[in-house]
Amino acid sequence: MAQKEMNLSPELIAEAVKRVMASMVDSKVQPAAPVSGGGSARPDARKDYPLALKHPDRVRSASGKKLDEVTLDKVLAGQIGFDDVKISPETLEFQAGIAESVGRPRLAANMRRAAEMTRIPDERILEMYNALRPYRSTRQELLDMAAELETKYGARVCSALVREAAEIYEKRGRLKR
Amino acid sequence: MARRQKRFEVLEQRPIHKDGFIKEWVEVGLVAMDSPNDPAAGIKIQGGKVVELDGKRREDFDMIDYWIADHYIDTAVAEEAMGLDSLKFARMLVDIDVPRCEIIRLSVGMTPAKILEVLKKLNVVELMMAMQKLRPRRTPSNQAHVTNLKDTPALLAADAAEAAYRGFSEVETTVGVVRYAPMNALSITLGSQVGRPGVIAQCAVEEALELAMGMRGLTHYAETVSVYGTEQVFIDGDDTPWSKAFLASAYASRGLKMRYTSGTGSEVQMGYAEGKSMLYLEIRCVMVTKAAGVQGLQNGSISCIGVPGAVPAGIRAVLAENVATVLTDLEVASGNDQTFTHSSIRNTARMLMQFLPGTDLIFSGYSSVPNYDNMFAGSTHDCDDYDDYLVLQRDLQIDGGLRPVTEEKVIEVRNRAARALQAVFEELSLPPVTDEEVEAATYAHGSKDMPDRNVPEDLRAIDEMMKRGTTALDIVRALAKHGFRQEAETMLNMLKQKISGDYLHTSAIFDENMHVISAVNDANDYQGPGTGYRLEGARWDILKDIPMAIDPEDI
Amino acid sequence: MNITEDMVKEIILEVLQEMQKEGRAAAVQKPEAPALRFREVGEAKPGTNRNEVVVGISPAFGISMNKTIIDIPLQSVLKEVLAGIEEEGLKSRLIRVIRTADVGFIAHEAAKLSGSGIGIGIQSRGTSVIHQKDLAPLQNLELFSQAPLVELETFRAMGRNAAKYAKGEQPSPVPVRNDPMARPRYQGLAALIHNKETQFVKPDMPSVELTVAM
Repeated sequence: MAQKEMNLSPELIAEAVKRVMASMVDSKVQPAAPVSGGGSARPDARKDYPLALKHPDRVRSASGKKLDEVTLDKVLAGQIGFDDVKISPETLEFQAGIAESVGRPRLAANMRRAAEMTRIPDERILEMYNALRPYRSTRQELLDMAAELETKYGARVCSALVREAAEIYEKRGRLKR
Repeated sequence: MARRQKRFEVLEQRPIHKDGFIKEWVEVGLVAMDSPNDPAAGIKIQGGKVVELDGKRREDFDMIDYWIADHYIDTAVAEEAMGLDSLKFARMLVDIDVPRCEIIRLSVGMTPAKILEVLKKLNVVELMMAMQKLRPRRTPSNQAHVTNLKDTPALLAADAAEAAYRGFSEVETTVGVVRYAPMNALSITLGSQVGRPGVIAQCAVEEALELAMGMRGLTHYAETVSVYGTEQVFIDGDDTPWSKAFLASAYASRGLKMRYTSGTGSEVQMGYAEGKSMLYLEIRCVMVTKAAGVQGLQNGSISCIGVPGAVPAGIRAVLAENVATVLTDLEVASGNDQTFTHSSIRNTARMLMQFLPGTDLIFSGYSSVPNYDNMFAGSTHDCDDYDDYLVLQRDLQIDGGLRPVTEEKVIEVRNRAARALQAVFEELSLPPVTDEEVEAATYAHGSKDMPDRNVPEDLRAIDEMMKRGTTALDIVRALAKHGFRQEAETMLNMLKQKISGDYLHTSAIFDENMHVISAVNDANDYQGPGTGYRLEGARWDILKDIPMAIDPEDI
Repeated sequence: MNITEDMVKEIILEVLQEMQKEGRAAAVQKPEAPALRFREVGEAKPGTNRNEVVVGISPAFGISMNKTIIDIPLQSVLKEVLAGIEEEGLKSRLIRVIRTADVGFIAHEAAKLSGSGIGIGIQSRGTSVIHQKDLAPLQNLELFSQAPLVELETFRAMGRNAAKYAKGEQPSPVPVRNDPMARPRYQGLAALIHNKETQFVKPDMPSVELTVAM
């Protein structure tokens, strides 16, 4: 299979792999990662997971710290803050790729929403969650929140989720009364 | 009757007669898995969009229908899956020649009523066969409850340490008094790492508070994120599928594992089952979970077990809901976590349904404290049943997740956990854990053996701690400063697991080397005898070696 | 007459069974609880009195149901709660929540209408919550989730504690009882009762203020 791919263009392979992956649900039969086709490698569960063991050097925290930089001595010396032990959007994107490679597109989508949310502060996330609960927000308030997600945090997938909620809440009478 | 028959008089004295049984009341949905109000399976797709689901047109959809139609159903396989004869698919579930992946591929093309139709065709032995094949992680495991009536922290830490040491891979606490939550979380999170590095801890409380604690690293994962099968009950639970999905992603964005919780009986318990069977509504919950991209689900009726338990075929329905979970490729934490009977016979029979085939987490959880201290209102089995459980594993050669232990070692880990907590409390300016409390917690059976604490003082200190913004890093520092360097390393390593995100994947737990084991690197490959997880070799040597057994050499 | 061991056993058994039958008969023919006499004062409005605690009752409370799941008359329940509040020198206001039968939301509604921000919610079966208006609906100050374990004294203590919160104190929470065996015995029944209660819910109806004749 790998030899055949050599003759194809990277774009074609990427497209084919995308299609195969979308329909794939078998964790045992995985397509060869299209590394040979050039471009950046797609995550492959067998080779890349668990990330902390297979590629510790590639993992960076939200603040950019490498895993082996987060040590007890540095914590005690006050050189490590809580932001240094937070996950980065890149890592979440990589894990989303792993999830896709084992046939879990919905889990991957969740991880992509999460990647977007790494940019939102704790307080604001809690507020947004509460605003999405029943009878908490008007349609406009939800749409404003969707806009905020998109423009302020670049959170497009999350924004779409909130817009969809606004539409359904309106249909079902679950907006603020 | 002029005269009683003596056998009947004896039978009436049996504990089973204290259980509550109810005849089916189908109009409100007090029925396990077969209500005349359950819809017929069906789907219509137009232009890639689901326009009719189980006989309901899109314009009549409720929130849950929309969510399932737009986020669960894979329209590319729906036609094929819905076209399959339900009996044929039911047989595929137990056919060792049909691999797990084929079942999973088709499952996302099925509607709730279709899966209900399929599951109704399986008896409990077949449901167990399906569970054995379909659970996502190859290695079965177990979760413990760690709580007490007084919310007393030293005991929580000691109990968490013992639970972890005995082999549970997850520990869960909750509260008697809500405002104790952060202190309880801190106590078991620390205690569990003393017992066995890599055990993950959670604290079940209201959703927003639970997330806030997770964000600070006071817990490692979350489970009490409840979903329901009818819109009205979902709303009474103060959420929607959209708010819950947002919450799910919020957890992942902080590197925290999470699963949803649901269970048969909750809708009728909350008064709005719309006349549907408990299993039909629970299958909707499974799909709500899958559609949100959440990796797993705790179900098996859970806190509502008295409801399916009271009606005919209720316990079969409870196993069927666990199977519904794994056949959609979700991790299952399969209940067995609430007292539901006075009869020990009935109790064990109910537990065997998950124990025999093995699930991702057989209990969710097993009470590691005496049931009087169990603030989830009691589990099916508690710390007094440990030896029975170990013998069941040995009799049947089944890995139920626990291993034999020695009293000396248990005393040692309990004491160390309580002392470590004492140090952390001192450093975080929490009301002190006294030497008397450490000693009591080390040797206690339950909270009756613990001195009382000043509750208002604790609560005030907890509020202050939360306001100060204390995080798990403060705990790491406190431990190291007081000579608990090993524990500090372990706690820090658990925080680092959140950076790599490996345990966000389906069915993830950690082994004793703090390496992740999940349905990605330990995928279930059961395909009949000679395949899948087998209890043998070194692990079997450990589990069969119970201290109660006589060594022939000694005679 | 020779009395053998067997005869003694038999007699004891008979007596025990008689006693049990009586016990069971009592459980089946539950004593009739007195009906509550309410008067509706109008739509419940937010209060301004910082010295009040609002008590919210569920839709069927005292209407189709007069006793808790363990047969405590609802009249006594109210009497104790109100007395507990009064004992601390505070005033109480009674409302009926009609749009939901969920005890968390009932208590939260009471708290939101309360001048002090503290409310109590009580369901017919006895499940109760002490709430504070700034908390999320399903959070609480104190929760009495297992109706079969909520006894008459608990209701008085509940009233007292709610009043203490209203005064800005930090009382020791009412001791929570825990009986793992309550579920197997009562949960099915609780579901049944709750389904009767929800038949009285009207989602669009505002809460009403009540007075009650004791």
